[in-house]
Amino acid sequence: MRIKREMLRDAVLENLATIEGILARPRQRTSKNSWLGWALLAAVALTLVGTLKPTSAGRGKPQPEEFVGAGVVPPPDGSEAYRETVPGLAAPRAIDPALFRLTVKRVVIDPGHGGSDPGAMMRGLREKEITFDIARRVAALLRAGGFDVVMTREGDETLTLQQRVHAANAASGDVFLSIHVNSIPEPMRRGVETYVLGPTSDPRVERLAGAENSGSGYSLSDFRRLLEGVYVDVRHDESRRFAQAVQGRMFAALRRINPELENRSVKKAPFVVLVGTEMPGVLTEVSCMSNEEDARLLRQSEYRQDIAEALAGGVRAYAAARGRGAAVAQGGTGGM
Amino acid sequence: MTKEKNSVLHLGIDLGTSRSSVSASNGERHVVESYIGWPVDMVARKLVKKPVMFGHEALENRPMLDLHRPLERGLIKEGSEKDELAVRELIRHLISLTKPHDGQRVLAVVGVPAEALRVSRQHLRNAVKGVADSLMIVSEPFAVAYGMDALLHTMIIDIGAGTTDFCVMKGRYPTDDDQRTLTNAGDSVDEQLAIMIRTRIPEAQFSIHMVRGWKEKASFVGEPDGVVEVTVPVGGKPTNIDITSELRRACESLLPPIVETMLDLISRVDPEYQETVRHNIILAGGGSQIPRLPQAIEAALTDVGGGRVTPVKDPLFAGSNGSLSIALDAPESDWEKLPG
Repeated sequence: MRIKREMLRDAVLENLATIEGILARPRQRTSKNSWLGWALLAAVALTLVGTLKPTSAGRGKPQPEEFVGAGVVPPPDGSEAYRETVPGLAAPRAIDPALFRLTVKRVVIDPGHGGSDPGAMMRGLREKEITFDIARRVAALLRAGGFDVVMTREGDETLTLQQRVHAANAASGDVFLSIHVNSIPEPMRRGVETYVLGPTSDPRVERLAGAENSGSGYSLSDFRRLLEGVYVDVRHDESRRFAQAVQGRMFAALRRINPELENRSVKKAPFVVLVGTEMPGVLTEVSCMSNEEDARLLRQSEYRQDIAEALAGGVRAYAAARGRGAAVAQGGTGGM
Repeated sequence: MTKEKNSVLHLGIDLGTSRSSVSASNGERHVVESYIGWPVDMVARKLVKKPVMFGHEALENRPMLDLHRPLERGLIKEGSEKDELAVRELIRHLISLTKPHDGQRVLAVVGVPAEALRVSRQHLRNAVKGVADSLMIVSEPFAVAYGMDALLHTMIIDIGAGTTDFCVMKGRYPTDDDQRTLTNAGDSVDEQLAIMIRTRIPEAQFSIHMVRGWKEKASFVGEPDGVVEVTVPVGGKPTNIDITSELRRACESLLPPIVETMLDLISRVDPEYQETVRHNIILAGGGSQIPRLPQAIEAALTDVGGGRVTPVKDPLFAGSNGSLSIALDAPESDWEKLPG
C-alpha cells in the first residue's frame, strides 16, 4: 500500500507540474552519484572546450547543453561564453557548427505519403500526388543548380517512415526536406508552416526545463546521453536555420500570389522522420488543402511550380549561408 | 454514503493508437477503434448524417470523412489542432459511453503511450482540457502494472499499434530511465506485411486496413498451424493468395528489437534483482496476443539464465482497468488539485 501511495503521489505531482507549465523534476539520485556525475561532466566538458576553443571563440548563441551543465538560465543575448558549474570548473561552450564543415551538396527530398497511404484527401485532391509533383519540381530545380538530389520515393510507392529515414541516412544527405500539404479544422484559414524536431514549441517551457534540469544529479548513463545531445543540438540548430530559410522563401513567394496568406511560422514537432534522420531536416506544409482557394491553386501546375521554386530557393539560401557549401549553392539558378 | 458514492464516476481510459477502451466504476466497459472522422464536405455530412464519427463506424465511412488516428505512431502531432481535437472528441466519446448521469462528477485517469507522454506531455494535457471534472494522465505501461499489482521487480512490455513500450517497475513511479519505446509495433508489422505481399504480387489490390485485419485474425510467430489465405482482387478478379510466409516474417520482425531492448533494460536493473525481473515479464497490448510470442521471447531469455513471459488475460481492458484502479485509489484531496 505504501508503494502505491507513493506512486500515486508522484503521478499527481507529475500532472500538476505539467499543468503549471514546468517539466517534472527527474527523480534525484543519491548525492554521491550526483557529485560523481557533475565532476565527470565538468571534466569532459573542459576537454571539449579545450579542443574546440581556438575556432569556436566568440561564436554563436548558447546551446542547450550549456543550460543543462550550467544550471542557470542563459542571458537572452547569449554573450556569456563561460559559466561556473562546480567551483573552478567551466561549463562547455556552444559548439560552432562550422567546425563540422557542414557543406550542403546532397539534398534528400521526401514527398509525403504515397502508395496505399494517400495522406489528406479532400476537394478531389490527394496529398500524396501533390507532394510528389512538387518534390519532382524541387529536385529538377536543385539538380539544375548543381546539387545532388536523392528522392525517398520515385513514384507512387508505399514507404514506412523508417524506410524514408533509412533512405535519407543511407544517402548521406546533407539536408532533409519533407514535403506535405496541410489540412486544418478551420477551412477559412490558409497558410504555410515548417517544422523542426522538438518536444515543445513553448520557449518558456524550454527555459524552465533548462533550469529544472540543472538541479538534478547526472549518472554515467545520463552523462553519455548528454554528450550525444551536444551533437543533436548542433543538428537541431542547423535544422532551425534551414527551416527559417525554407519558410521565409515560401511565405514571401506565395504571399505575392495570395496576399491573405498566413505565416504559420517555424514550429517544433516530434515527427518521426525528423527524429530518425541524421542530417538537418525540416518538414514543410506548403499549403492548406482544407481551404477552398488553396485547393483551387494546388490544382494549377503554375502554383505548384511557384511552391517548388520557393522550396528550392530556401535550400539554396541555407546552403549559401553555410558558406563552404556555397560553391555549389551560389551556382544555382532562380529563386535566390 | 451511497448517494455520495454515486455522485462520482471514476473512469479508467486507455487511449491507444489503434484501440481505446474505458472501464468505469459503474461497471460499464467499452472499447472503440481510435479513429475519428469528420465529413469532408456538406455532401458527405448529409450522407453520414453525423457531425463526427468514431471507431468502426468512422472506418467504414472513411471515403467521406477526414479520418484521424490522433496518436498515430504513439505520438500526438504537436501543433496539429485537428489531432488535438480528435483526442478530445475521442475521450468525450468514451466518457459518454459510460453513461454518467446528470450532475455526476467524472474523475478520469487516462493512460497514453509512454512516448506520447514523454514527448507531448503539454499538448496532451491541452488536448484533454475540459473533458472531465478532474483528470490525470499516466503512461500506459504504468497503468497496466498498477492494475496488476506488478509494481516491484517486474517488466511490462506493452505491444501496441504505434509503439512498443517497456517499463521496469522498481517499486517507484517510473522515470524516463525505467522506460523505453520502440516504433516496432502493430503498425510496422502491417506495413511490412503490405510491402512483402506487394513485392511478391505487384498487381494485388488491398488497403492497409485489409492488411491490419488479416494480421489481427491470423498473426503468429514460429511454425504455422496451417495455411493463411486471403482473398484480394488481382487485376480486378478476386483471387486467393497464400500469405503464410509473409505474415510469419512480418510478425517475427518484432522479435529482435523487443528482445534487444528487453535485455538491455534487464542489464540495467540491480544485479540481485535481475533474475526476479526476468521471471516477471508481462506482455500487454494487442501484440501480446500473437500466438507463441511469449514463448519466443522466453527462448531468447534462455541465454541469460531463463525467464518467464506472461501475456495479460484481458488485453483490451488491462490498461483501462489499471487506470480505473489508479482513479479509485487516488485520494479525494489529490483529485481536488487536478483540473479537468
